[in-house]
Order: sequence, then structure tokens, then C-alpha cells
Amino acid sequence: MTTKTLAFHSSRGGTGKTVIATNLATIWANKGLKIALLDLDFRAPSLAGAFSKAIKKQPKYWLNDFISGRCKIEQTLIDVSSTYRLKGKLYLGLANPSIEAIRSTMDKSRAWEVSAVKRLFSMRKTLFKEMNIDYIILDTSPGLQYSSINAVVSSDISIIVTTNDEVDLKGSENLIENLYLELDKKPVVLINKVLPETQLHTNKTEKELINKIENQLKSPIIAAILCYCDVLQAKRTSILAIEKPNHAFVKNLETIAKTLFLTNKLNFEE
Amino acid sequence: MLVKTFTTPGNLELLLVKLIEEVKLTNKKLDSIITQNSPNQKQKTKKNHKNKSTSPLSPDVLSLLSLPAHLRKTVIALYKLEKATAEELSAETKRLRAVESASANQLTRMGYLKKKREGHKVYFYIEQKMEENK
Repeated sequence: MTTKTLAFHSSRGGTGKTVIATNLATIWANKGLKIALLDLDFRAPSLAGAFSKAIKKQPKYWLNDFISGRCKIEQTLIDVSSTYRLKGKLYLGLANPSIEAIRSTMDKSRAWEVSAVKRLFSMRKTLFKEMNIDYIILDTSPGLQYSSINAVVSSDISIIVTTNDEVDLKGSENLIENLYLELDKKPVVLINKVLPETQLHTNKTEKELINKIENQLKSPIIAAILCYCDVLQAKRTSILAIEKPNHAFVKNLETIAKTLFLTNKLNFEE
Repeated sequence: MLVKTFTTPGNLELLLVKLIEEVKLTNKKLDSIITQNSPNQKQKTKKNHKNKSTSPLSPDVLSLLSLPAHLRKTVIALYKLEKATAEELSAETKRLRAVESASANQLTRMGYLKKKREGHKVYFYIEQKMEENK
């Protein structure tokens, strides 16, 4: 299997990037794959919360330390596979949630950012060649932040998570036009939290919605997922793919995981 | 009538004063041109230009967006390869070697890249800077 790096990105917060990245990583790891899920949202880290059941103590090194050249990527990774009894491996790389670390991220120099993007590329080599990781999943911060653009540049494919709200779609359109196309990147779009009145019950309605958004964003749509109240209300500490594997949301993500696995369908950039 | 006006003693004096001023101004301009073209000055200007072109600029991801599209690809390839010849860049970007060579040299002149010779090969790289950890 070819190894790949995926970045989850969005034009603004609250579209469901982290929930999707977390569950997708868990689904793949439970299929027997080796996954590295990395929190590159240095301004609002959230992965530690989602996996709090498995993280009993504060890690010695954070991803911030690796990006700053203070440790190796292997030293930041936490293996959570046994806690969730996964068939494969799931490694987490966490961003430091302390106020001091977040503040420090904000006043890095441009030279530091150059070094950061180079470290992300070198990290790929280590994870794929030395640790035999199958997929690297990067959970990024929304919008045009250095950390998210660095993630987009260093990934093979970016998945833009958007809702079908007009403001969100306009933001995604701007992101694609002013960032992705400029960087010669071809993103894939995932429409999340589709409002119930849109009703994706019939294939015809779903196709219409997908075609409409595909035309607006000029990018392939990988799926449209309905808005589920219980997903929105679920605690941030719960991982649906583990706790409710038969939930329609998880079933949707399983289909996406399968589609992404069949890389040819998405024209991954080599 | 006009000739008459200029040839009156008062006007003639005024005309001479004006002419002297013009000659002085022209001399000043000539001096300045001569100084600029002198060998020493040429060397200084060249040195300044060289310093300017090699002044370190950080090709961070946001700066990439302000660069022409053909140059961005070369920088992204160098993020990945760290240090590369035009041949290696060409293998990474799938563009012609000559295209990569031109792009990398242009980026070097702009101050975004550095280049060094190792034997017969010329390598392009992004300079590591002291302030990277800041």
C-alpha cells in the first residue's frame, strides 16, 4: 500500500474537522493499519481531549517541541491502540495546550516557519520509512494560519471540511481559490452537518446538493454527511467509532475511509 | 521687436545671469554622471547590488503566495529535498532541468535561496538561520 499524508482543513472553526479526523484515524487503525494522528492546531489543541481516556499523564514532548527541533518525532508519539483495543496501531502527536505554548506559537519568526515546514517534510520520511506508518492524518487549524498552510503544503492531499452554510461555502471557495490553486494543490471537499431539511434520503437530492457545491467549489466532493444531533451533543471525549460503531455517522466515515484507501479515485498528488 | 527687447542692456544682463546658472547646473549634472561611471563607484554599486540580492529572505509559506507560480514549485521541492541540484529538482517537480535551473537561480538572485558548488555539482538550498528557534 502506498503511504499518504492527509490534512484536514476548513475555512473556519466548528465544521467538524477534529471529530472526522479522530474517527477516521480510529476506523483505519481498527482495520489493522498503522496511523499517526497529529494535532497541528497549535492555537486551539483538541486531540488530547478526544483521547483523554488513553492519556493518563502529560507527554514529555509535544509536537511543538518537534517542530522547534527540540526532540525527534518518535519522542512525541503516544500509542493509544491498547486502550481502545484496536487491531492496528494508532499513534497520537499532541499540541501543547498551555497558554505559554499557544502564545509562543503566535510570535514565531518567518525563518522559524520555514524551518517548521521543512521539519514536517522530514517527519514524513521518519514516520513512513522508519516506523512504517500507513497514513499520517494532520488535524489543522482553520483558515490561513502558518501551521495550517504548512500542513497543506506538506500533505499529499487536503480534505476541506465544510458545512453547506453559505458563509462557510464562500469561505471554502476563497480558501481553494486563494490558497490551494495558488499552491497547485487539489483539495477534496467533505460536506458535514448537512441540515435535516436538505434531507439526503433520496439519491437524487444528495446528487443535486453535491453537484451544486462541486460546481461552486470546483473541487471533487467526497461525501455529504447529515447533521446528527447526538453527534453534536456527544462529549468531546467520546470516540463514536469505538463507542457507537453502528451509528450512521460512523458508517458514513467508513465509506469515506474506504474511498480514501482506494487512492486512484482521488487522484492523489505524488 | 523681440530681438530688440532682448538686446536692450538690462535684458542682456538678465539673460547672461540665466545662462551662467544653466551652465552651472549642467556642470553639476555632468560631475554626478562622471562620478557614477568611475571604476571605483561602479564596484561599490555592484557590491551593494550583490549584497542586496543575497540578503537573506525567508521563503515561508505565506511568502510563497506572493511569488510567481513557476517559482513556488521549486521552493516547495526544496522544503522536501533540503538541498538539491537542478537535476534533482527536475526529478521532484517533473519539469525540465533547464526550467528548474532558471527558477532556482532566479530565487537565488532574489535572496530566497543560496547555492554552493560541491565538485562539479551546484546545489541550491534554503539557508538555516540563527533566528529559526525564535
